[in-house]
Amino acid sequence: MSTDAQSGEDAGVEPEPEESEGPPMPQSTSETPSYDGEFDAIVVGAGLAGSAAALTMAEEGLDVIMLERGNSPGTKNVFGGIMFTPRIRELTDFEDAPKQRFVAQKTFSMLSEEGDATEVSMQPAAWKEEPHNDSWMVLRGDFDEWFAEQAVDAGATLITETTVTDLVREKGAIAGVETDRPDGRLHAPTVVLAEGANSLVSEGAGLAESQQRTDVAVSAKEVRKYDRETIEDRFHLTDEEGAAMHYFGDGAVGDAVGGGFIYTNKRTLSIGVVYSIEDAVHDERSPDEVLDDFKSHPAVAPLVTGGRMIEYSAHAIPEGGPDAMPDLVHDGAVITGDAAGLVLNNGLHLEGTNMAVESGYQAGKAVADAVASGRTDAAALSAYEEAMNDSWVIDNLNHYGWFLDAAAEDKEFLFDDLPRAIADAETDYFRMNDEPKTRHTKSARKRLVGAMGGYLGAAKKAWKYRKLFS
Amino acid sequence: MSDDWTIVVCVKQVPDAAEVSIDPDTGTLNRADADAVMNAPDYNAVEAALEVRDAVGGTVTALTMGPASAHEVLRAAVGMGADDAVLLTDRAFGGSDTWPTSLALARAAEELDADVVFGGEETTDSSTGQVPPGIAAHNDWAQLTYVEELEPRPEEDQLVAKRDVEGGYERVAAELPVVVAMEFGENEPRTAGLHRKIYAETDFEPVEWSAADIGVEDEVGLAVSPTQVGGMATAEPVPREQELVDDVENLADRIAEVS
Ligand SMILES: Cc1cc2nc3c(=O)[nH]c(=O)nc-3n(C[C@H](O)[C@H](O)[C@H](O)COP(=O)(O)OP(=O)(O)OC[C@H]3O[C@@H](n4cnc5c(N)ncnc54)[C@H](O)[C@@H]3O)c2cc1C
Repeated sequence: MSTDAQSGEDAGVEPEPEESEGPPMPQSTSETPSYDGEFDAIVVGAGLAGSAAALTMAEEGLDVIMLERGNSPGTKNVFGGIMFTPRIRELTDFEDAPKQRFVAQKTFSMLSEEGDATEVSMQPAAWKEEPHNDSWMVLRGDFDEWFAEQAVDAGATLITETTVTDLVREKGAIAGVETDRPDGRLHAPTVVLAEGANSLVSEGAGLAESQQRTDVAVSAKEVRKYDRETIEDRFHLTDEEGAAMHYFGDGAVGDAVGGGFIYTNKRTLSIGVVYSIEDAVHDERSPDEVLDDFKSHPAVAPLVTGGRMIEYSAHAIPEGGPDAMPDLVHDGAVITGDAAGLVLNNGLHLEGTNMAVESGYQAGKAVADAVASGRTDAAALSAYEEAMNDSWVIDNLNHYGWFLDAAAEDKEFLFDDLPRAIADAETDYFRMNDEPKTRHTKSARKRLVGAMGGYLGAAKKAWKYRKLFS
Repeated sequence: MSDDWTIVVCVKQVPDAAEVSIDPDTGTLNRADADAVMNAPDYNAVEAALEVRDAVGGTVTALTMGPASAHEVLRAAVGMGADDAVLLTDRAFGGSDTWPTSLALARAAEELDADVVFGGEETTDSSTGQVPPGIAAHNDWAQLTYVEELEPRPEEDQLVAKRDVEGGYERVAAELPVVVAMEFGENEPRTAGLHRKIYAETDFEPVEWSAADIGVEDEVGLAVSPTQVGGMATAEPVPREQELVDDVENLADRIAEVS
């Protein structure tokens, strides 16, 4: 195309040429239109639950706006965690998602304060095959940003650096949100609360009770950068394989219900501790000191030594299980993800990503149906609660919910006596001396059985905790 | 000249300084990962432009030169309250240094019939501070640099500025049209209202002008840029000695010794 032709075309495009030739003048747009009633739904928070809800609703043809406090979704949080991906794989082109490594290996270790460690490690061959047991290590900052982009590509609007401060009610029903911006009120028939664990909006509006101290865990976590080779050598990994290491016992988080973890990313390790806030109050150590002690345990130190810290943060995680869950459905609003207490945090499992996405998806579908029916009261939105009750989410929460109470009851035993007894038993069992092996076995068994309160006690405990592994 | 002023504010997209990192091994700046944001002093320029508009009446048009992705900074300015936005975008602009850049902005300001053109004191990614004076020079307009405060006098077609000068300040009145470089941090940039922000980021579309639209197609780009970056070097920090001296006399002695 010649330059002449191009400029001729430009002139043709101009709608109303002014008397003199010249480029198109900007239209004055001093009037600000009102967006009240322009959106079918407002999503509070563009985390996993919020983006899943927005994506689902946008695909159902709704006009959706996500309001996110941070300057980008995932709030620049580089922290890595395990993303459980069954639903997200269906919702997106998951191959394109920014992922770090799949979980090829899981370990569970008991650590005693004295430095003993007993590790169980599993690496089923099936995990190396697609879809890798739907368990991927991701950096949440990158991942959340990508996931929100999927919602935007589907037609949702994302507005960042905007904090929702309250809900707007009309005739008792929720009819919009109030934000921290000037002219900050926005009306819409439905609000999807997806604000995460620190659910100030839901609590402030009386939709959820503030978390009981015993229902919340504290976590301190850091991300350290290493060479890729260092990580692959230390954890025996190749390609996209990753390791998820979980640690329990008083060598991990002291005399508290909880544990420590290390996740391998491509070039970073996510290292952290999670324990009940109630224990945190009684411990003289601050969460970062608990993390430091964990990192210096002889079984942990060689794995994390060196590197450069690139992020440190502390965080609250709800751990309340089914009893701490608020009503999911209200007139004009639904609550999803961590804000609804949908986290499984029992020591063996630390899961919330999958439930956040699942709840966002189910909420999105229910809101779309409600909007289509022209009614958004609690009854019209109740399909969300029903879908959740029928899903694996609530099932899992119920299944494992008892664990925390049980663990709190048996704290001494589980996190103190048992790790030590196991370590001592191992020492006996594998002792190299001139005694016969049968004697080693016997004394090892005696130590374990002793710690559990005799054979009857052991049987009772085995029965009590059987569900954890079923 | 009508009573209402036509105000143009030049804004620039720069890599988010908080995210630009220096590779500790190679010593090079890593800008690739950094998000593009509005140059921080430009927020003060937008705020000053809006304040003058609110006082005098008229319109504020945000102006930038850059790739299509530079829409973002124009949307930020419109979110704060700018009425219009123009993006100068053309392959021909590629590689322009401050001379052709200020020429293009000057021609665009002329095309918009500007009474006042605002810019930030300098950009965080190149720190030359040359662009606002360059615009004034190309158009042969008055200029007010290092401005702390403004007082518009629409009856006299004058803009009075309090300027930061060595050791104090001075007050200067300039005849319109005038180019103003606002000093960083001299005002409190307003927060975008929620509905305005939604509008700016969704329904608003800036107008795009090419180099030919403003008649500078042969006067911009790398070839006509008089300056070139010869290379970059990281300076090793110089070890600085610190010493406590007991009294003023000793201090004077020490200084005399060292120098
Ligand atoms: C240390 C730690 C490790 C974890 N590890 C794992 C793991 O390995 N695997 C796993 O499955 N789960 C893990 N979890 C749990 C998991 O992170 C959460 O369950 C999940 O992120 C919940 O998603 P969400 O969308 O509900 O909330 P979030 O991801 O917290 O998102 C909430 C969003 O809302 C925004 N927001 C909050 N308030 C407002 C407001 N008022 N206005 C506007 N925006 C707002 C926030 O900025 C954020 O972007 C871990 C949690 C922690 C703390």
